[in-house]
Amino acid sequence: MNNKQFLTELSDRCQMSAEQAARQAQNLIGVMENLWQNGDSVSLSGFGVLEVKKKNERVSVNPTTGVRMLVPPKLVLTYKPSSLLKEKLK
Amino acid sequence: MDKKINLTQLADLLSQAGGMSKSASEQFVKNFFEIISQSVLSDGLVKVKGLGTFKLLQMEDRESVNVNTGERFTIEGHQKISFTPDADLKEVINKPFAAFETVEITSEQADTLASMNTVSQLEEESDESTDDVAKEDKPVQDKEKATIAVEDVPLESGNGNDNDNDVKVEPTVKEVTQKRGVRFLIKLLIWILAILLIVPLALYLFWPLIGNSVLEYVERDIKNRNKTEYVADSTGNVSKPVKETVPVNPQPSKPVDQPQEKPSQATPAEQPAQPEPSVTVPAQQQTQVQTTPAQQPSKPEPAATTPAKPAASSVTTGQGTSGYPAVKLNSADSAKDLKDFTEADTVNFIMDGDLTVHTLKSDETITKLALKYYGTKKLWPYIVKYNNVKDASKLHEGAKIRIPVLKAK
Repeated sequence: MNNKQFLTELSDRCQMSAEQAARQAQNLIGVMENLWQNGDSVSLSGFGVLEVKKKNERVSVNPTTGVRMLVPPKLVLTYKPSSLLKEKLK
Repeated sequence: MDKKINLTQLADLLSQAGGMSKSASEQFVKNFFEIISQSVLSDGLVKVKGLGTFKLLQMEDRESVNVNTGERFTIEGHQKISFTPDADLKEVINKPFAAFETVEITSEQADTLASMNTVSQLEEESDESTDDVAKEDKPVQDKEKATIAVEDVPLESGNGNDNDNDVKVEPTVKEVTQKRGVRFLIKLLIWILAILLIVPLALYLFWPLIGNSVLEYVERDIKNRNKTEYVADSTGNVSKPVKETVPVNPQPSKPVDQPQEKPSQATPAEQPAQPEPSVTVPAQQQTQVQTTPAQQPSKPEPAATTPAKPAASSVTTGQGTSGYPAVKLNSADSAKDLKDFTEADTVNFIMDGDLTVHTLKSDETITKLALKYYGTKKLWPYIVKYNNVKDASKLHEGAKIRIPVLKAK
């Protein structure tokens, strides 16, 4: 399912126009982005947790050349599905 | 900070931002995530612009090992939802750390870095992802490194560079001064520990280079001392230390050289060439002969035989006879003699007939036989020679080993 299909489905369920749904989706993502930037996590029952995690810096080695690189620390958005959702998986 | 935002809170925020009613926005958020989870299950893939991609992955069966019991077991194939954030979103979230770049490390830097890793991790854990503190943190590290660098320059110099490379944040130090003291102490401790670890390691690694020469020197020194003492003790009238006599008279060595090289055939050849020493005290001869070849490996033959001559001529006490078995001599001699004797090399005896025939049992070795029949492991080469064993490690159980009677030369 691509973004377009997703938005039409969303507009159908919420009984609003496709444009409105797209705008609200943008708003929602913007709101969540702000939360993540502040270090908060978004937790939704039945869906899971979207949170920002810090990955430590590490030394990686290019296996072919043997060149060692220092990979800097980074913040990454991670998703952990809820146990409810996991149960539905095979 | 570090709050968990749930559905209603998120809906509240959305209604403020989007101008929708609270109930409508709550419904919207609910639908938003419901569609994602449902379509991931049905379609296997959901792309949401601005957020990212949710994907259903099929994991294959794989084998694993129970860490506690070491048992192998299969992790059965299952499905997994993966999430990849949009490139834009990724960038925005990683903004605090955007200044960092991947840096290539040279080998020296890598070593020092490895030891530094623990320190930096500790600090980072304490202040998580807060960029403010992180910014203050790095300059502190810099400063401390600089101060340590004054103390031990060679270790630190590479490290300082490295740190400069990946930290591009300008120092904004204000109220870090109290923290600095504690951190400095910790870091100093860690460096001292590291140095304490490295020094023995380096010694251990380079021991083959340094150690051998040192050992050789020490060994030589000890043997020298032993020898001179011994000669003085036992003979009394030998004024010069043996060391000096060694190069002086190389001539008499000639006749004895050959029998030494092939002791098995030596018996008849040696007797006419050297009638005197066979009558004198064998123990003395042995000790002297034995110490010299080990000590001067460059010219073993003259060294081995020459000291025997003066000793033999000066000492007249006929304690043992030429045919006397070497092993029994041991008990008669003093403790010191015994000690020297057990170090005997393969050149001091001649083999004369079978003592016995031994059938090799399992877990018996030639050295064990030597220990059993001669009382010392050092005499094993005679057994090997006497039996013409080519490879002692290939002997099998039940092999018949002839044990030679050893006579002192």
